[in-house]
Amino acid sequence: MSKIAKIPLILLGAVLGFFVVTFTIYFFNLDMKATALLAPFLEKWYDRMEHNQYI
Amino acid sequence: MKTVEKVVNPVKRAGEQSPGKIYNENLKVRARREWRGVKDTFYDYTRWLYLIFVLARFIVVPRNIKGFFRYRWMMSYLFVPHGMDKFTIGLRDEALRIAHTSFNFVIADVTQAIANCFRGDRRVGNDKAYSGKCVITDENSMVTFMMGFDTDKVHTILREVPTMFASNIFHQFNVMHYLDIAQQYGIPGDVCPMPEAEAGISIEDDFCVLGCCAVQNNTTCDGSLMGNGIIAKRLEREYGIPTYQLATPLRHKEPDVLEYAAQEIKNAIEFVEKHTGEKWNWDTYFTAARRVNDATRCRIAQMEINSTPYPQFFGAAFSLYNDTNYMGNSGRNADFVTIDHKLLALAQKGYENKRMYAKEYRHRAIVWGVQPQYVIDMLYWMVQCWGVMPLTDMLSVINTDMIAEVDTPENREQAYRDMAMLNMEMIMRNHTHGGFKVLVDDLWELCEQMNADIVMMWEHMSCKALTGMHGQFEEQARARGIHIMWVSHDLCDPRVFTRQAIRDQVNSYMRTVMREEPLDPSLEIIPDNEAY
Repeated sequence: MSKIAKIPLILLGAVLGFFVVTFTIYFFNLDMKATALLAPFLEKWYDRMEHNQYI
Repeated sequence: MKTVEKVVNPVKRAGEQSPGKIYNENLKVRARREWRGVKDTFYDYTRWLYLIFVLARFIVVPRNIKGFFRYRWMMSYLFVPHGMDKFTIGLRDEALRIAHTSFNFVIADVTQAIANCFRGDRRVGNDKAYSGKCVITDENSMVTFMMGFDTDKVHTILREVPTMFASNIFHQFNVMHYLDIAQQYGIPGDVCPMPEAEAGISIEDDFCVLGCCAVQNNTTCDGSLMGNGIIAKRLEREYGIPTYQLATPLRHKEPDVLEYAAQEIKNAIEFVEKHTGEKWNWDTYFTAARRVNDATRCRIAQMEINSTPYPQFFGAAFSLYNDTNYMGNSGRNADFVTIDHKLLALAQKGYENKRMYAKEYRHRAIVWGVQPQYVIDMLYWMVQCWGVMPLTDMLSVINTDMIAEVDTPENREQAYRDMAMLNMEMIMRNHTHGGFKVLVDDLWELCEQMNADIVMMWEHMSCKALTGMHGQFEEQARARGIHIMWVSHDLCDPRVFTRQAIRDQVNSYMRTVMREEPLDPSLEIIPDNEAY
C-alpha cells in the first residue's frame, strides 16, 4: 500500500484512538477523580502561603 | 387545597433510569457519568470535550498559571466539569441541550472574566495600560451604568463573580476558608455568608487588584453593606482605587424615587468618565438597550412556555444564565443575543415535542426565596425524585418592561430613568426589597399565572429580610389553598445545612404532608455531602 493511501487509515486510527481514550476518561469520570486526588495537595499549598490579612 | 392535573410522560427515558446510582459515598466526585443512551451520551461527551478545551485554552497562558497558584478560590476552576454535571442530572433531548447551551456559555464568559482579572492584576499580569481602563463593579450590581462605554475601551470587571459566586457552585467547600477568616476578625456568623465570604476574601487579600476605579452598590441587606465597607476600605486606602457608592433606592415601586435614582446613575457615569478618561457613547448605549429588550422578550417567551404543561427552561441553568445576561452583561455583549435565540428555539422545539424532564409531573411549583449555592442541582433533583416541577424561581422573575432603544433627545433623558429602573429592580433587589407587594403579593399572582399548587420556599436562615415574613407567607398560603414547603439552608456554608439535610426537608414534606412515594427512590438519599 502506498504512503498516500495509508494517510486516511492513520487519520482514522488517530481519531478512533482519541475517541477511545477521551471517552473512557469522560465516562468513568477519571478527570474529576484525578482532580479530587490533587485537591488536598493544592489546599496545603494555599495554606502555606503568607497573606497580608487586614480589616 | 389547590390541585393540578398530573402529566405522565408516555416516552421511556433513554439510557439508565436511576441516576442516583452514579454517586458513591467513598468518592468526592461521582463514580461515573450518566448513561443517557447513545445519542445523548455522545452529545454530553462532546460538550465535556468543549469544556476541557475552554479550560485548557485558559491555563496554557503563563500568567493564568501564576494566578492559579496565587489564589485559593482558583481551585474551583478544576471542578468545572464536576459542576457542569450537576446541571444535567437525568436530562435528555432538548433539556440536555438547553442546559449545556446556557451554562457552557456562562462558563466560557466567567473563564474570560478570570483571564481579564489576571491580565490587569498587580500581582499576576500587571498590564498597567489594561488595568487603567478597568472598572471594578459589585457582583450584585447591574452594570447598566457601563452600557454606554465602548467595550474595547473600558473593561467591566466583576471580580467577585469568579472569586466567590461561581467558585461556590463548582466546589461546595471553597468559600468556608474565607468565612472562617471573616469570623476570626469579629464578623458574626449569622450574617449572610455571601457578603461575609467576600469580606473574608478581602481581609485575606485574595481578590485580584486591578482597575482605575470601582463602583459599589447598596445591594440588598445589612450584610452586603458591611461587606462593601470592608472591601472599599482596602481598595481605597491600601490600593489607591477610588470607589463610588451607587446609592440605589430600595422602595423601587414608589414613583418619586426614580428621579433620584436616575441622578445617581448620572453621577456614576461621570465618575467612570473621570477615572477612565473615556466618554459615554449614546450609539453604544442604544445598541445595548436593544439587546436588553431582546433578552427581555426571550425571557418572557420562556416563562410563557413554562406556564404550559410542558415547561422547558428552568432551574439553576435558567436562573444563572439570566443572572449573567441581565445583570453582568446588560446588553454589552452581542453574543448573548445568539444564545438567547438558540435557547428559545430549543425550548419551543421541546414544547412542540412535549418533552418532559421526568416520568411524571405531579405538582407545579413556584420557587421563592434565594437558593443555596452549594446544592445548585436541587431543582433538577426535585423534579426527578418527586415529580415536582419548578416553573420558575424568584431570582428569574425580573423586569418585563421595554426600555427606550431609539436615540432621540427625549430618549437620552429617559435612558437614565431606564438604567435606574433596571438597577433598582435588579435580581437580588426586585423582590426582597420594595415592600409587601413585590415579596408577598407577586408570589400569589405568579401562582395564578403559572398554575402552581406548591410554593417551594427557600428559607435562607441568615437572610433577615425574608425570614421576617415567614408568618405572613404561611397565613396567606393557607387562605389560598396553596401548599408551602419550607426548605432551610445557609446559602454558601454547607456546615450549617448539608446537601442531604436540605433534600430531607423536601423528602419529609412529600412523605408526611403529601403522602407520596418518590418517582425515583435512588435519588431520595444521595451520598454527596462530602463531594465537591
